[in-house]
Amino acid sequence: MLQYLLNGIATGALYSVIALGIVLVYRTSRLLNFAHGDLAMVAVFLVWSFSRPLGFPGAVAVALLAATALGAAFSFGVLQQVKEATLLGQVVLTLGFSQVLSGAALVVWGADSKPFPFPLSSVVTYRLGGAVISQLTLGSLVIALVLMAGLYLLIQQTRVGLAMRAYSQDPEAARLLGLPTRRLLAFTWGVAALLGTAAGMLLAPVTFLHPYFMLTPFLKGFTAAVLGGLDSVPGAIVGGLLLGVMESLFAGYVSLRFVSTLSFALIVVMLLVRPEGLLGRVFQRRV
Amino acid sequence: MERLPRLVAAILVALMVAWGAAPLSAQVRGVTPTEVILGTSAPLSGPAAAWGITAIAAKTYLDLINEAGGIHGRTIRLEIRDDAYLPPRAVANVRELAERVGVFAIVGIIGSANAFAVRDYAYQQELFWMTPAIDSHIWIGYPGNRYVYTVYPDYYEEARIFTRYAVETLGAQRLAVFYQNDQYGLAGLEGVQDEIARLGDRARLVAEVPYEVSDTDLAAHAQRLQSSGADAVIIYATPNHGAMIAQAMARIGYHPHRLATFTLGDATIMTALAGEAWEGVISAGYFPLPDEDPVVAAALERVAQREPSLRAMAYNALAGISFVEPFVEALRRAGPDLTRESFVEAIESLQDWDGEVIRKVTFGPDRHQGINRIYLTQIQNGRAVVISDWITYPVGF
Amino acid sequence: MIIIRPWPQQGRIGGAMDLRRSYREEMALVRGWSGWLAVIALTAALAVLPFLLSGYLVYVVTHLVIQALVAVGLNLLVGYTGQISLGHVGFFAIGAYGAAHGLVTFQLPLPVALAGAGLGAAAAGYLVGLPALRLSGPYLSIVTLGFGIAVHQVLTNWPAVSGGRIGLFVPRPALGPWPLTGDRAVYFLVLGVGLLLILAAYNLTRSHVGRAWIAIRESDLAAQATGVNLRRYKTLAFGVSAFYAGVAGGLAAILIGYLEPQMFTFVESVSFLAMVVVGGLGTIPGGILGGLLIGAIPYLFSSLRQWLPLVFGLIIMAVMIVEPWGLYGRWLKIRRYFKSWPL
Repeated sequence: MLQYLLNGIATGALYSVIALGIVLVYRTSRLLNFAHGDLAMVAVFLVWSFSRPLGFPGAVAVALLAATALGAAFSFGVLQQVKEATLLGQVVLTLGFSQVLSGAALVVWGADSKPFPFPLSSVVTYRLGGAVISQLTLGSLVIALVLMAGLYLLIQQTRVGLAMRAYSQDPEAARLLGLPTRRLLAFTWGVAALLGTAAGMLLAPVTFLHPYFMLTPFLKGFTAAVLGGLDSVPGAIVGGLLLGVMESLFAGYVSLRFVSTLSFALIVVMLLVRPEGLLGRVFQRRV
Repeated sequence: MERLPRLVAAILVALMVAWGAAPLSAQVRGVTPTEVILGTSAPLSGPAAAWGITAIAAKTYLDLINEAGGIHGRTIRLEIRDDAYLPPRAVANVRELAERVGVFAIVGIIGSANAFAVRDYAYQQELFWMTPAIDSHIWIGYPGNRYVYTVYPDYYEEARIFTRYAVETLGAQRLAVFYQNDQYGLAGLEGVQDEIARLGDRARLVAEVPYEVSDTDLAAHAQRLQSSGADAVIIYATPNHGAMIAQAMARIGYHPHRLATFTLGDATIMTALAGEAWEGVISAGYFPLPDEDPVVAAALERVAQREPSLRAMAYNALAGISFVEPFVEALRRAGPDLTRESFVEAIESLQDWDGEVIRKVTFGPDRHQGINRIYLTQIQNGRAVVISDWITYPVGF
Repeated sequence: MIIIRPWPQQGRIGGAMDLRRSYREEMALVRGWSGWLAVIALTAALAVLPFLLSGYLVYVVTHLVIQALVAVGLNLLVGYTGQISLGHVGFFAIGAYGAAHGLVTFQLPLPVALAGAGLGAAAAGYLVGLPALRLSGPYLSIVTLGFGIAVHQVLTNWPAVSGGRIGLFVPRPALGPWPLTGDRAVYFLVLGVGLLLILAAYNLTRSHVGRAWIAIRESDLAAQATGVNLRRYKTLAFGVSAFYAGVAGGLAAILIGYLEPQMFTFVESVSFLAMVVVGGLGTIPGGILGGLLIGAIPYLFSSLRQWLPLVFGLIIMAVMIVEPWGLYGRWLKIRRYFKSWPL
């Protein structure tokens, strides 16, 4: 039981980090970013490529910069230029972008799985009560917590965060008050890309690196974000952890074959009870 | 609106010009005085693109033969079409190859679903099919197998050999199977089940743990295996998931005997992925290892010099070569007057024939499964070491 | 009466040629002699097409028509009713396996098997539509996403349906006394069913049902206030859309002749959605155009090999950047330009 819980929390924490990136973009742009996972995938490949000439920390820095720039560039250069686009049109734009990213990765790096060098080992383990936890899992948990805390500080304690909150509450008013909304959007995309990349780097040592390795984790992160409430940052964290633990317990005690089906069934029930997600803002609509 | 009829007419004319006169009336489809045309459909894009390397290797190998003058004045052209591992596109590709390109034979085709979607059409068209890269067991009893000449091993029989080895040599009594939940994995599972039933009460199958290709977290799978108390785990997975489960088992301190199908036999790739966790894994091979056999090593080196990307995936590259080797030999034996009949006669004259990569190939009028043997290897210090003689299994068709 | 139109059709209004004098004229599907000429020419072209193309191309065209059919159905849901589905492959799969078992296991006649496939998918669509009464947007997309994944998981783990290790072979059926062995026969079957369903879609969207759907898309609360039964029309949209996907799935089963659960993954759902948006939301021709284009790209550019996904993504992005209203929106703009050309 403890082991299953621990596994669930560890995977769930990573779902949370992915979900956070999705939520950040959704809060500001009202847009589901389907390229979130593939952006992270490209960044992780960059780490892989640059870790030989630059060393691991240098490569991570380069990749984070590149992912941030790429995310911001897409938001600035594509999404905001297409003014007529419907929301669904924008979603399809991100779908197209995700195809471009994974397609480029396929051309540049090939489809075969590559081991991802990470300073923490996934096989070295520590005992924790009756359960074992690997160095990597422990590290992932710590890094995920740090990222969550950092994001909290960014949103709640800084001027940029204040601007982001203002924008997400009322874009029009924010613009009228003189907030540089386009730069704000690009910044949000950048932070989201950074979060995605972090999650990708923590996943890659376990799932190995190939152009499609972020597809399933992205879908899980997306699900977690919706479960928690798409406009809620704490909701993303709760949603991710809940999804992780739920899957782990289902896999352990109910059925390995129907894990996703069971999880989704439960999520649908939860959403029917709270249609705006667990911690989402209850939207009041005026007609 | 007024423009539409004219537009339609223009399109119709264009279509007629383009395809109206398409069908060629050559004497033998795919054979000209200067050329033999082969075709394959392989995953060059999409998640399974790593397997597509077999097609690239086969093409490179044939190109080298062509540069040396070809066979009896004919060069061998291999037309490769991408199917992204999707059956509808594999069907379209093979139809294009048969109907528009006009191929003499098709080669390879990766994945049961793709090969099965193509199967009946290929039979209908009487297409020769050199080594479909799928479990060769499934051809048994299929009437179209008379056009199939395969040197691909049999997952089902391999699983039975693994089971016997685990029980009789390793002394395992509780076996578990970790398998991909599709035709590939189920072939292995079935082999284990049947052999355990045959062995009677000497061993039990204590866990059948399936996974989906989309799974990225195998912690629960590893725990299922561990709590079943299995002392040997037989693995039918992709290299990616094989390495993942090995690490997941190591992480929870579970160290049973592990036997992994020959598609995970490339020690370099598997050790790179799984590291220490792959140490001691028993796998299989159906052609000699490049480390141990200079002829195989030389063949690999030759294609890799031309196409350096092949070097990273040595086993897939060698498998790709093995797909076309018997074909080339049959062309040689058939002589300059190449017809379907002379080809059949030539390829069915192969008796214990040794290619550069694939060895001891035998075909005949009633035998289209060219090889019926594998040998076992074990990873020791990151290298595959041969631990058994050739083990033969019954010829199925 | 107020006729609510989605944006692109408004492009038709204006221009002296389009002056309409009566309600009948307004509701007519085909207007004027030039319209009829175009329809006749198109029909003739579609009828002779398989005799001009080689079997391989007939197969490809048939496959494209099937995909266009899914797109038309999905457009009823997404474009007309404003609901999202990320799990349409689930309905497609239910239709495919339904038709296959109808034909193989139960030996039903072809029309019955196809209708059964459609109705089975429609029933599933109705069920998936129920949560849509409470959920919208991304929250609804999770339900549909989960549905698609659940169907896939059930298929993989239910050998009696999926055929287990061997998969499920679907021999070419017969339509009454005629066995559909050739490529052309299947082409005409698909084309016939396709045209019938597309015509039905046109009529549906012009009827009170279509108007109710559009009203829901514009604002479901307002629609409810004006007397639209949300429960009925939302679930109906899901049911009808799923019916299209189901029939298309059945046709795909017949065309390909072989089914395996791996053919029905999330990626397919996404590409169905892309077809609708790239083609043009809320229009029937948009669904057709999108289905044909997105479906054709892999065939047209197959020689690109590993570059294909990259080019595919670039094409989708380019279409959306140049024409946010989809291909059909662009077509309307072009037509309007030519109609008023010298001006």
